[in-house]
Amino acid sequence: MLNVDLIIGFSSLVIAGVVFLVTRELSMLGGVFVNYLLVIIGVLSVVEIFTGFVKPDRIRFFESANERKNIVIGLIILAIYLILLPFIGFLPASYCFYFGFNLFLGEDRWQTRNILQSAGLSAIVVTVFYFVFSQFLGVPLPEGSLFQ
Amino acid sequence: MFGAVIAGLGNVFQIFNLLFLFIGVFMGIVFGALPGLTATMGLALLVPFTFTMSPASGLIMLAGIYVGAMYGDAIPAILINTPGTPAAIATTFDGFPLSQKGMAQHGLVAAAFASSYGSFIANIVLATAAPPLARASLAFGPPEYFWLGIFGLTIISTLSSGSMFKGFLAGALGLLLSTIGMAPIGGDVRLTFGFPELQAGIALIVALIGFFCLPEILSSVIGQRRATYAREPVKPRMGVIGEVIASLLKKPGLMLRSSAIGTIIGFAPGAGGNIASMVSYNEACRWDRHSEEYGKGTIKGVAASESANSAMAPGSLIPLLTLGIPGSPPAAVILGALMLHGMKPGAELFTAYADVTYAFIIALLVAAFMVTLIGSFGSFLFSRIINIPSRYLAPGILFMTVLGSYSIRNNVLDIWIMFVFGVIGYISNKLKFHPAPIVLGLILGPFVEEGLVQSFLAGKAAGGTFSYMVFRPISLVLIGLSLMSLMWPLAIKLKSRWRTEERQPINEGGQDA
Repeated sequence: MLNVDLIIGFSSLVIAGVVFLVTRELSMLGGVFVNYLLVIIGVLSVVEIFTGFVKPDRIRFFESANERKNIVIGLIILAIYLILLPFIGFLPASYCFYFGFNLFLGEDRWQTRNILQSAGLSAIVVTVFYFVFSQFLGVPLPEGSLFQ
Repeated sequence: MFGAVIAGLGNVFQIFNLLFLFIGVFMGIVFGALPGLTATMGLALLVPFTFTMSPASGLIMLAGIYVGAMYGDAIPAILINTPGTPAAIATTFDGFPLSQKGMAQHGLVAAAFASSYGSFIANIVLATAAPPLARASLAFGPPEYFWLGIFGLTIISTLSSGSMFKGFLAGALGLLLSTIGMAPIGGDVRLTFGFPELQAGIALIVALIGFFCLPEILSSVIGQRRATYAREPVKPRMGVIGEVIASLLKKPGLMLRSSAIGTIIGFAPGAGGNIASMVSYNEACRWDRHSEEYGKGTIKGVAASESANSAMAPGSLIPLLTLGIPGSPPAAVILGALMLHGMKPGAELFTAYADVTYAFIIALLVAAFMVTLIGSFGSFLFSRIINIPSRYLAPGILFMTVLGSYSIRNNVLDIWIMFVFGVIGYISNKLKFHPAPIVLGLILGPFVEEGLVQSFLAGKAAGGTFSYMVFRPISLVLIGLSLMSLMWPLAIKLKSRWRTEERQPINEGGQDA
């Protein structure tokens, strides 16, 4: 069981500490608001830490091991997509992501019907949005440094 | 004036202009509904096309886009907890819970009707009282903006269902996030950690997608493997339109107050729909006898937010049309369109170009009605979106979040920021540290900082910062409202505690007897 107040209090204090260290060079006009905020965050963090010791709020982070596994895999798929995006370009990366994520969320994912369905959906959705954004709205989507 | 209004009416009700207006409203709804696309972007894209049209037709179409986008942003806010634009952030507070209860259609109809209502009221004000209100807008100086921002921040006391300290800590962290980038005054580059892309700060829509949309997908679709996005499937029916509209018409106080808040905040240049919707939501919650219903899925919360952010649009046109000061980014694009057609804001608009100006104002009114029609009947289609099985819907939403985050500034770093905020949002939701106050701080931060630093400078020159910031009529009103808003939840708690204590002896007496 995690002590919520201690986690929030200490994390906020660490953030305030880091910001304090990297903002000491600022001019008076650029730093005044940051300094006020640091004081407020410092005080509120101490209150949270105090609450964490006196009247802690405890929670279980993941309901089950399955939930933890699903979240981790989902985040990894998304992170791989974001890593690939600038290298192989928007279209190939998005096709792979959409296809992969669709399969991941399906229950009987390795059936031929599911694989074909996921491939078809990813081809249609990604291509339509690619054309709307790049051709109609003029958004320069990542081309992919590997192919340049 | 009467002749100009008649000429304006004639202009709007020409068949082609009505068609342009309808296309504009529809495009506006699409631009508002897609996270990453904004009303400003839609207007900016269309301005070159309107150059080939007559000034009246061009402005009529722009009016349609502006009004349509003000409603469109509510659709993803209600269905998938992702505001289409930052102005719809308060719509998520009740819209998404409604959707989770299988009442997405109620939320969508409430948003459409409230948008039209707010837009209608603000247009009436624009048409009848623009010049004196424009002069009043000039009374807003740095201290007033600072206190308006503080007033906006007091909504945290309403949003914090658990510990108020946690809410304020989250708000302060959000304010700290808003300081990333170049300081508005002084020009210092802060907290960019070597990323030049961060000099422009964090894009609001990226933060909204990250904090609101991604955690929901992670938690319900990926983590719990829920079959559909909403807990209850939506079953749209025709009767809902009448029920929702009748229910909102029975709340004239809520609707008028929200519209008035939107109009007033709209004509203060720079304030925008984000603040309008949050202040309005806060006030709706505060003045309602059943304030406990807010945040759990009530059409009143959706109506408060949507009527205010839609009223903001015509409100922001008041200083634009009369003084040439755009009250919001979309109003700045409309200023550009006026200039393209050789029309200079000011008295000339209401004399030499009165027929075109009134055609524009009437088009805003007609567009408001079109929004009710499209929104109400479109709710049958829109609300069914969340009945689509998660395995098909979630990859599409995730793909759109990536596309939306990227297209705001054509920047891959923004997608990573969205991803990181999504993970933080997921963790903070689990820790009961709701991210809404963080986003609130992020939205209001630049506003508060600019007001504070400018007030410091002007106050020093005026002989006293404190007196300069506090002893001004509008400042005093805003300070009073902020204190009241801050103390209200405490007062309600104390009141309910006294009531319980008063009842207890009677019950005990009854038991004894």
